[in-house]
Amino acid sequence: MLFFVSLALLNGVLIGASRTINGQLGTRAGAFRASVWNHVVGFVFLSAVLLVLRTWPDITDVPVAAYAGGVFGALFVAVNSYVFPRLGAMSASVLVISGQVLSAVVIDCVQQGTLPAPVRLAGVALVLLGLSLPRITAHLRRKDP
Amino acid sequence: MTGRVLDWLLAIAGGVLLTLMTLSNAVLARHTDALYASWAAHAVGAVVALLLVPAIARRGAPVRAAGAARTPLWYYLGGIPGALVVVLSAVAVNSELALAGTIALMLTGQVVFGTAADHLGLLHTPQRRVTGTDLAVAGCVLAGSVLIVLGGA
Repeated sequence: MLFFVSLALLNGVLIGASRTINGQLGTRAGAFRASVWNHVVGFVFLSAVLLVLRTWPDITDVPVAAYAGGVFGALFVAVNSYVFPRLGAMSASVLVISGQVLSAVVIDCVQQGTLPAPVRLAGVALVLLGLSLPRITAHLRRKDP
Repeated sequence: MTGRVLDWLLAIAGGVLLTLMTLSNAVLARHTDALYASWAAHAVGAVVALLLVPAIARRGAPVRAAGAARTPLWYYLGGIPGALVVVLSAVAVNSELALAGTIALMLTGQVVFGTAADHLGLLHTPQRRVTGTDLAVAGCVLAGSVLIVLGGA
C-alpha cells in the first residue's frame, strides 16, 4: 500500500516537474513553442512505450469528438507555461488545481442535473475561501494601523 | 496588481482547460485504453500547438538577452515526466487507492513539489519566499480539492 501511495505522490511531483520545465522553456522559446515541444517529446516517449508493450486497442468505433482532448491539452500547456514562471510553481499549481476541481464540480452538476453532495459543497467552499485569503489578509492589514 | 489578477485568472482558466481535456481523454480511453488515449492526445496536441505558433505567437520567441546562457537540453524534455504520469497513474488507479485516492495524492504531490521548487529554487526557478498566506491558500485549496475528489459526484 505504501508503495502505491508513494507512486501516486511521485506522480504529482512529476506533473509539477513537467509544468515547471515547460514554464522554463516558455521563458526562452515562448509559451506556444513550449507546448509544441511538450507534445512532440511526450508523443515520442509514449510511442516508445507502445512499441515496448505492444498493446494496440481496437480504434474502429471511436467518435472523432473524443480526440478533442488534444486541442484542450495544447492550449493548456501554453497557458500553463505562460503563468508558471510569472506566479511561481506553488501559486500556479494551486490556481490550476482550483480551476480544475471547481469546473469538474460544475460539469458533474450540469451532466447529472443534481446538486453536489454536501461533502463536495464543503470542498468548494474551502477552495473559494483559500482563493480569497490573499484579498482578506490584505484587507485586514489595511485596516490595521 | 492588474497584471497579477490576469495571471490568476489565466491559471484558473488553465485548470478549466485541464478538466475539459480529462473529460475528452476519458471518452477516448473508454473506447480504447489509457495509453492509446494519451498517445493520440499528444499527437493531436502537437499538431494544434504547431498551428498555433504562427497564428498566435506571431511576435516570435522572446529575444534572448545578450550573453544569456544557452537553453539547456532538459528544458525541452518536460513532456517526458508528463507522459510518464500516464503510465504510472494507470498502475496506481488499479491499486487499492482507486481513482479518487490516486487523484488526491497526485494533487498533494503537486502542491508539495511547487512549494519545494519555489523555496529551494529547483529546476532553475527563481527562489521565492513562501509566505504564511501562501501556505494557508495552498492548505485550503488542497483540503477542499481532496473533499471534492473523495466526496463523490
